[in-house]
Amino acid sequence: MTTTIRVTLLAAALWFGAAPFCAAEIVVIVNPKNQASRMFSEQAAQFFIGKSTLFTPVEHNEGSAIRNEFNTKVLGKDSAQVKSIWSKLVFTGKGTAPKEYASSAEVKKAVAGDVSAIGYIEKSAVDDSVKVILTVP
Amino acid sequence: MNQSLRSCLLFALLSAFGAMCQAADGPTMTISGFGTAALTSTDTDDAEYIRPNQARGVGKSPRTGVDSNFGLQVTAKFNNSFSATAQGLVRKNANDYYGAEMAWAFLKYKMNDDFTFRAGRMGTPVYMISDFRNVGYANTMIRPPSEVYRQVNGGFFDGVDVVYQHSFGDTTLTAQFGVGNAKTKTPGNSYVEFKPVTALHVLVENGPVTVRFGRADAKFSVVNNTALNGLLATLRTVGLPQVAEDLKVVDVDGSFTSLGTMIDYKNFLVQAEYAVRKTESRVVMDTTSYYAMFGYRMGKVTPYYYYGNIKQDSPRTYAGLPTTGPLAGLTAGVNSVVKAALQSTNAIGVRWDFHKSAALKVQIDHVKPKDGAGAFINAKPGFTGPVNVYAVGIDFVF
Repeated sequence: MTTTIRVTLLAAALWFGAAPFCAAEIVVIVNPKNQASRMFSEQAAQFFIGKSTLFTPVEHNEGSAIRNEFNTKVLGKDSAQVKSIWSKLVFTGKGTAPKEYASSAEVKKAVAGDVSAIGYIEKSAVDDSVKVILTVP
Repeated sequence: MNQSLRSCLLFALLSAFGAMCQAADGPTMTISGFGTAALTSTDTDDAEYIRPNQARGVGKSPRTGVDSNFGLQVTAKFNNSFSATAQGLVRKNANDYYGAEMAWAFLKYKMNDDFTFRAGRMGTPVYMISDFRNVGYANTMIRPPSEVYRQVNGGFFDGVDVVYQHSFGDTTLTAQFGVGNAKTKTPGNSYVEFKPVTALHVLVENGPVTVRFGRADAKFSVVNNTALNGLLATLRTVGLPQVAEDLKVVDVDGSFTSLGTMIDYKNFLVQAEYAVRKTESRVVMDTTSYYAMFGYRMGKVTPYYYYGNIKQDSPRTYAGLPTTGPLAGLTAGVNSVVKAALQSTNAIGVRWDFHKSAALKVQIDHVKPKDGAGAFINAKPGFTGPVNVYAVGIDFVF
C-alpha cells in the first residue's frame, strides 16, 4: 500500500472516529429472561425519565456521546432536562436515579445480571447475554 | 440547643448514617444533595419582601437569606421492596437564622409495580410542586409564586401514605393519598397544628402534558399567637363573644383544592395552578389564587414570564361592629385580621444551564399590593408599593 493511500485511510478513520456515534447504531437491551420482545421508542423512554418503574434503567455516564445521542433521539430531551426530571424524582423520595456505567460492556454486564434491567449499547457490542428489543433509527 | 450546632449535628448524623451503612454489607446507600445560593434585594426600604412564613425579609440591601437553601438526602435500599429515605434541609424560615429541619424521614414499601406505601415524615402534597419546591434546580422559576404558595404553610406531615401509579396506554396515572399530623412553626413563638391532615394528589401525564388535581383537608389550630389571643380575650371582655368565636383558630376545618398543569412541548414550557382555600375561621380567610408561567427553551437558556394573583372570597371587614366611639380601635383590630394579603405579580426571568449540574437564574418580580401591604412584612405606614424584587441565584444538585 502506498503511503498516500495509507494517510488517506488514516485521515478517513480519524474523520469518522471523531464522530463515532453518528455511525454506530444504538440498540435498547433487556435481560434474556425479560418477557418483553419489542418496544417502541416512546415506551423505552418511559423508564429513562422515571415515568415507569416496571423495568430498572441502567445508564451510561453523564456527558458520554452515546448517552447524549440517546437523550436526543429517544428521550427527545437535552441532558439538563433529563437531570432536572431525575432531580424531581430523587428529592421527592419517589425514585432513584439510574446507576451509571462507563462503557457499553459494563452496561451489558449490568443488564445481563438483572432480570428487570433495561439499558442501551452500540449494536456492535450485542451478544447472547442480552436481548435487543429496539433498534434506534 | 444552639441552632447552628443542631444543623451541624443533623448533617453529621446523616453523613455518618450513610458511611456506616456503606461499610456494612447490606443496603445500597445513595447520598445526594441540592441547594441554591442566591442574593435577593428590592427597590424599597418601606417594607420587606419574604418567602412565605419567613421571619425577616429583604429591602434595598441584598441578602442571601430569602432564596438560599441547602438539602442533603440519604436513601438506603434494603432490597427491591424496602427502602428508607431521610432529607435534611437548611434555610431561613420562621426564624431569622439558617435552621435545619428534618424535611423527610420515611420507610417505603413497594408492594408491586402499582402500589407503594410509606410511613414516617413525608412532604405534604398540597401544591403541584410541593415535593420539589425547595429544589431550585428542578424548577424553572427561582421560587414558587407566593400568591399560591403562601396559602398553606408547612411542607411535611408525620403519618402514612399510599401511592398508586399505573400506565394506561401512553397515559400515566399517579394517585397519592396521605393522612397524618403536622406542626409548622410560624414567626414569633407560635405555630400551626394540623391534626389531622389528609391530602390527595392526582397526576395524569400524557407525553408533554401533565394535569394535576389536589385536595387537602385539615382540622387546624393556631397555637401561641399572642396578638390573636389578646384580641380574642378583649372581645370576650367587652361582651362580643360571637366575634371572638368567628375569629378563633382552634380545631377549625379548612380545605385547599387546586388544579394545575405542566406542559413541556418542544421548546415551550407552561406551568399554571388555580387554588381555592376555604376555612371556618374569619382569620384564615377564604381565598382564590392562581399563577401561570410561560417559558421558551433556547438550548441552555430559558427565558420565562409569570403572572400571579390572589383574591379574597370572604368579606374583608367584619360587619356590624361600631366604627366610632370607644370600641372603634377594637373594630379596626378585628378588621385588620380578617383581611387577606392581596397582591399580584408580574415577573420575568431567565434560567441558564451553564453546567451539567448547575443552573444560573436571574428573576425580576414586579409586585403590586392591593388594599394593604400585600405579603410584605414590617411595612411602614402608608406603604402601598408597587415593589420590584431582584434575585440572582445558582441552583445545584449532586
